Amino acid sequence: MYDFNFAPVLAAFDQLAIGAWLTVRLSCAAMLIGLVVSIFCAWGKTSGPKILRAVIDGYIEIIRNTPFLVQIFFIYFGMPSLGLRLSPNSAALLALVVNFGAYGTEIIRAGIESIHKGQVEAGWALGLKRAQIFRYIIMKPALRTVYPALTSQFIYLMLNTSVVSVISADDLTAAGNDLQSATFASFEVYITVTLIYLALSVGFSALFYAIEKMAFKYPLSR
Amino acid sequence: MSVVGAALLAGFVSPAAAQTVDAIKSAGTVKVGMLVDFPPFGIMDASNNPDGYDADVAKLLAKELGVEVTIVPVTGPNRIPYLQSNQVDLLVASLGITEERAKNVDFSQPYAGISIGVFGAQDLAIAKPEDLAGKTIGVARASTQDTAVTKIAPPDANIQRFDDDASAVQALLSGQVELIGVSNVVAQQIEAAAPGRFNQKLVLNQQVQGIAVRKGSSEMLGFVNTFLDKVKADGQLNAIHEKWLGSPLPDFVTKAK
Repeated sequence: MYDFNFAPVLAAFDQLAIGAWLTVRLSCAAMLIGLVVSIFCAWGKTSGPKILRAVIDGYIEIIRNTPFLVQIFFIYFGMPSLGLRLSPNSAALLALVVNFGAYGTEIIRAGIESIHKGQVEAGWALGLKRAQIFRYIIMKPALRTVYPALTSQFIYLMLNTSVVSVISADDLTAAGNDLQSATFASFEVYITVTLIYLALSVGFSALFYAIEKMAFKYPLSR
Repeated sequence: MSVVGAALLAGFVSPAAAQTVDAIKSAGTVKVGMLVDFPPFGIMDASNNPDGYDADVAKLLAKELGVEVTIVPVTGPNRIPYLQSNQVDLLVASLGITEERAKNVDFSQPYAGISIGVFGAQDLAIAKPEDLAGKTIGVARASTQDTAVTKIAPPDANIQRFDDDASAVQALLSGQVELIGVSNVVAQQIEAAAPGRFNQKLVLNQQVQGIAVRKGSSEMLGFVNTFLDKVKADGQLNAIHEKWLGSPLPDFVTKAK
C-alpha cells in the first residue's frame, strides 16, 4: 500500500497558491479579451466587408487546425525573429486570446445566425438604431443561445493554461512541476494540483451560472 | 550449465569479489557496463549498437587488455548493482565520482567530465555572480543547473525555468533570455547552432566521471589508471573527446588524478 505523505506539499502550498493565482489571472484576462475578439470577428464574419471575412476565415482555419502548443511556441520563440519580444506571461496571454478567439468566433457566429432576419427587420421598423439592433436584437439573444457552449470553451481555456509552463510562465502546473522535482512526491503533488484545477473549474462554472442568471434573465430588461 | 550455475552462485555468494586483469584476459572478453541513454556519452547507433564517448573508451580499454569487449547496457540506478553482482567487469558509465559512490565502488582517475556554466552573448560582461543582477537566465526546470544558478544568482536576477534544456536553448537563441545555465555538452550544441555568438561566463560546478571497478580490485584499478595515463598522454582520449563533444578534453579532467 502506498504511503501518502502530504507534508512536503503542504509545506510548499504557498508556491502552488501563487501558481494558481497566475492561472486565474491569465484565464480571466484571456476570457475577457478573447470574448471581445470573438464578438468582433463574429460580427466581421457575418456582416463585415468581404476582405475582412476572408481574413477572419483564414485566422479561424489556421488556429483551429494547429495545436495550441505549437501556437504558443510560435509566439514566444518565433516572433522574436520578427522583432516582437514578449515576456513569458504576455506571450501566454496572447496565445490564449488568439486561440480562444478562433473558437469563440465560431460559437458566437452560430448564435448570430440563429437570429431570424425578420427580427432585425422588426427592429428597423420600430426605428431602432443600428447599434441598438446589434446589441438588443442580435447580440443578447445570440449570446444567450450559445452561452453554455461559450462557458465550456472558457473552462477549456482555463485548463489550456496548463501548457504555458513550456515558455517558463509560472502557472499552477509549473509550480506543481517545480514542487514535484524538489520533493519527488509526484503522486501527492499532482493529486493536489488536480484538485486545485477541479476547484477552479467548479468555481468558474458557478461564476458563469451567476452571470447567466444576472445577464440573461427573462423578461428582457434594457 | 554447471558453469553458469557456478557463476551465478559466485555472483550471489561474493557480490564484491575482487576483479583481476588475468581473469579478464583468460576469459578473452571484458564486460563493460555503459549507459545508452546519455548522449553523447552513451547512445545507441543507427544499427542499435552501443556507441558514444563511453563506448569508444571501453573499446580502447579492451584493446589495451587485448580482449574482446562486450558492452552491457545499464541504467543510472542499476549500474552499481550490476558491477557489484559481477554482471559486468567494470563500468564506463558516465559515473560521476562522489564520496557516496566511492564507498561502494573503486574509481579510477577521471576519464571524462561535465561542467555546468552560465553562457551568454560574447559582448555581455559577466565576470562574477553579482553581475547577473537584472539579467534573465534560462534553465531547465529543477535541473542541476537550475539549483546551481538559483544558489548564486542575486535576488533581482530573473530566472526563467523551462521544461527542458532544448527549450531553454531555444529561448537563448531567439533572444528571450540573455543567459543560460547549461552543461558543457549542451553548450557544445549551442556553439554548433550559433558559432561564435556565445561564450562561457561563469563555471558553476564541475563533475568528473571515473571508470569504476569492484571495491578492493586494486590490481585492476592500477591497470585502468595506467591505461588512462597513457591515453591522456598520447592524445587518444582527447581525440575521442573531440569526436563526441567537439572540444579538447577539459583541463579539469586532464589534470585531475
